[in-house]
Amino acid sequence: MRAVDGVSFDVKRGEVLCIVGESGCGKTTTGKALLRLVDTTEGDIFFEIPEEEYRRYETMRSRGGPERAAQTDAIRRKYSFSWKEQLAWDTRQILTVLGAFAAAFILGLGLPALAAGLFRAALVNSAFLLAASLLCGLLIGMAGSLPPTRISARTPGMLGLLAILAVNLFPLLAAKEFPTSLPTASADLFGVWSAVWGPGFFGMLAGIVLAPAAAGGASKILLGRRRETEGLQAIKMRTLRRRLHLIFQDPYESLNPKQSVFEIVSEPLVVNRIAHDPEEIAALVGQSLEDAGLRPAEEFVLRFPHELSGGQRQRVSIAAALALQPDFIVADEPVSMLDVSIRTEILQLMMELREKRGLTYLFITHDLSLAWILADRIAVMYLGKIVEQGTAEEVISHPKHPYTQALISVVPSPDPRHLAKRTILKGERPDAVNIPGGCRFHPRCPVAFENCGWSADEVAEELKSLSTAGVLPGIAQMEAQNPWTVALAVVPGTTPEAFIETFRHVVKEHRDSRRALKAIAGVRARGGYVYVKLHQGSEPRLVELEPGNTVACHLVTAPAEAPHALPA
Amino acid sequence: MVRNVLESRCRERRHALLRRLAGGDSIPLLTVKGLKTHFETQDGIVKAVDGVDFTLGEGESLGLAGESGCGKTTAALSIMRLLPSNGKIVNGTIDYQGYDLATIREAQLRAIRWKHISIIFQGAMNALNPVKRVGDQIAEPVILHDKVDKEAAMKRVGELLELVGIHRERAREYPHEFSGGMRQRVMIAMALACNPRIVIADEPVTALDVMIQAQILELLERLKRELDLSMILISHDLSVMAETCDSMAIMYAGKIVERGSVRDVYKNSKHPYTKDLIGAFPDIEGPQTLPAYIPGLLPSLINPPLGCRFHPRCKFAWQLCVDQEPGLDPVGEGHLAACHLNTTTPPRKEVA
Repeated sequence: MRAVDGVSFDVKRGEVLCIVGESGCGKTTTGKALLRLVDTTEGDIFFEIPEEEYRRYETMRSRGGPERAAQTDAIRRKYSFSWKEQLAWDTRQILTVLGAFAAAFILGLGLPALAAGLFRAALVNSAFLLAASLLCGLLIGMAGSLPPTRISARTPGMLGLLAILAVNLFPLLAAKEFPTSLPTASADLFGVWSAVWGPGFFGMLAGIVLAPAAAGGASKILLGRRRETEGLQAIKMRTLRRRLHLIFQDPYESLNPKQSVFEIVSEPLVVNRIAHDPEEIAALVGQSLEDAGLRPAEEFVLRFPHELSGGQRQRVSIAAALALQPDFIVADEPVSMLDVSIRTEILQLMMELREKRGLTYLFITHDLSLAWILADRIAVMYLGKIVEQGTAEEVISHPKHPYTQALISVVPSPDPRHLAKRTILKGERPDAVNIPGGCRFHPRCPVAFENCGWSADEVAEELKSLSTAGVLPGIAQMEAQNPWTVALAVVPGTTPEAFIETFRHVVKEHRDSRRALKAIAGVRARGGYVYVKLHQGSEPRLVELEPGNTVACHLVTAPAEAPHALPA
Repeated sequence: MVRNVLESRCRERRHALLRRLAGGDSIPLLTVKGLKTHFETQDGIVKAVDGVDFTLGEGESLGLAGESGCGKTTAALSIMRLLPSNGKIVNGTIDYQGYDLATIREAQLRAIRWKHISIIFQGAMNALNPVKRVGDQIAEPVILHDKVDKEAAMKRVGELLELVGIHRERAREYPHEFSGGMRQRVMIAMALACNPRIVIADEPVTALDVMIQAQILELLERLKRELDLSMILISHDLSVMAETCDSMAIMYAGKIVERGSVRDVYKNSKHPYTKDLIGAFPDIEGPQTLPAYIPGLLPSLINPPLGCRFHPRCKFAWQLCVDQEPGLDPVGEGHLAACHLNTTTPPRKEVA
């Protein structure tokens, strides 16, 4: 199921972006994906990306090519918090890493071995063994964590294992090369091994603990440094969650009924280790409650959600979101469960906080009139895609997509003139599991035409309903032969030619009320059957009409290729 | 069956028209006078509906609006006498064709419920039984009230489903197989099962999407026209009401504060609460500013404020509003409002 499918938008600091759409169009999923409450399958969510970096990313992405891919990946690694290291290692990277390991092995093994050759009995000297293990571990840890390697949580562990292998190999090699360094020379490898490690506790410590610890530690420190300079992924999601927050839709269900207001608001402070001192926590909680309009705070801290009215509960939600001093808030239908008389108060509070704290909002709503009064920019979503985006003025006063136009037309209004203009769409939105081809909106679109992506099944369905209504007699059987052809068998007694005559007539008459008939490009008789050919449809691209105003509709942009029918 | 009903409806309608032409006003179908419904709770007696009068004419649709908790739903449930066990109609009459629904025996009431007055309950998500097929649920009142066998009832169910725009084969499905809008249609079909004359719709489009909302409202309007229903529409959304109703009554804290035709109430409101409520809705055709809001909360219905109940939140309130309760007085033709502003001139505000 593709709940959100190729959505791009940006929210500038201090801006209010409204996402509008019917329920199930993917609004909430988008909001959750932004906070990584839902993992994305594909795509990037950039946070605080400088303008020029983003422009660089955009141009490089549009040009493509392997080199550019590496550069875009560098940007994504740095700013995108949905970034996951999942690309295959390329040859250059593998070779460099192998080279680095080889060098580390040679140094980590060779140098101590050389020393062992020079100093007699060095191999059974614990101080020497410890120093050698430490050196070996550090070298491996460092070599394995330098740039071409990927930043991954597993790296230190892997390097630790390698270090164990290295320090255990070293005495064997040393003993083989310089037999004199061992007082009691044994012939077989195991004998040598036990002669070196066996006698002392220090040996065991060095081989098993010290070297891998040194390797892991060095690797961790190095990777940590690299993360700070290279990646956002690294700044753990939890630190990021302090700055991004969510206000849920239903204040009756989003608050834990067993927690007091104080517990609800202080929880994020405790979890994120912002404050430890009880007095400090109390002060912060009081401050957030007062900011959220629950004054005086002392009166509310000890209450439980059931003792509060709907508006007060939503204020508690807002207070809990504010406690961490976030920069960005995703508000998922924050007022849809509230009474009209309280709604404005909450909205006003949210807008005041925007001024006061410089907050940025992503406002999710199904109510266009709410979007109109709140948003700087509006994005209209349908079935997981943004169909229109622009400033509130552009989207509401001059809607270009038929879906936006229909949505605006059904907003209830006391003006009787408004009633006449209503376009009520037929049916409900299709299932996100089974998304229509071409433009997703075409089955419900009042102005859909040839290229909107009608399938043979849809046309066959429409012909069938015409046939059952008695408008189009003479069809015995009907089948969608392939996506662009419908095959018909006429009833005995009618010639295909005569049928085609009536067919043409009926289609001409009904194509404005039954939009699927628009897709019919031609009809032909062959071998006693009638074949109906369809126009080829395509999915409309999201086109930028003006900076920031994008629309995805064939009516706005003519499809790239000229309409033509495929052979039957 | 449907045709018979339609014909008899047409006849009734003609009669009503004739009566109107003869000079008399349209005879009210339902008259509610001085209705008081109180609930007994641990904290005291909650006066949820405290003296409500309204009439519903033949073929009229009346909107009952107000904030949640103002007593809209209680008023509607009182008409059907479907109150919870702690609720009681303590005073007033509900006159339906000579029967006082507030006092008649339960058995008599049962004959009126659903056959004459039916209700579309709030929250289609919860009002349907999840473990019974939709068709069986609609058939239930048909079998019970029309005394027909299962087969005839199922035939009627098919007709009803087609009437509300659902394929008749879906009668075999369970509620979870329907979307929100479709469930609402099922609820409507259920309310229409016994050809009632009055349908009470309690928040029929709340919690539905705008597009589905428009579909359901269009359906209700069509049914009202085709079946000649009288309707009481309960909603908190004034613009929905303005689109579908003929007249509307605004309730506040258990009382009607303003009543009249939709045009009068909306364009020429005579009560500050109505004005505030209308002003609280964002207007997509208006300026891009936050709408106004009504400060404060709905008062407690156990100890409602003395005098005018709206005075603690009213920006025009003066001493008289605290001392004396305003009556629902006519302010225009068929337009009533309960506010002292309409009958007395307020004292000039002293300049601070």
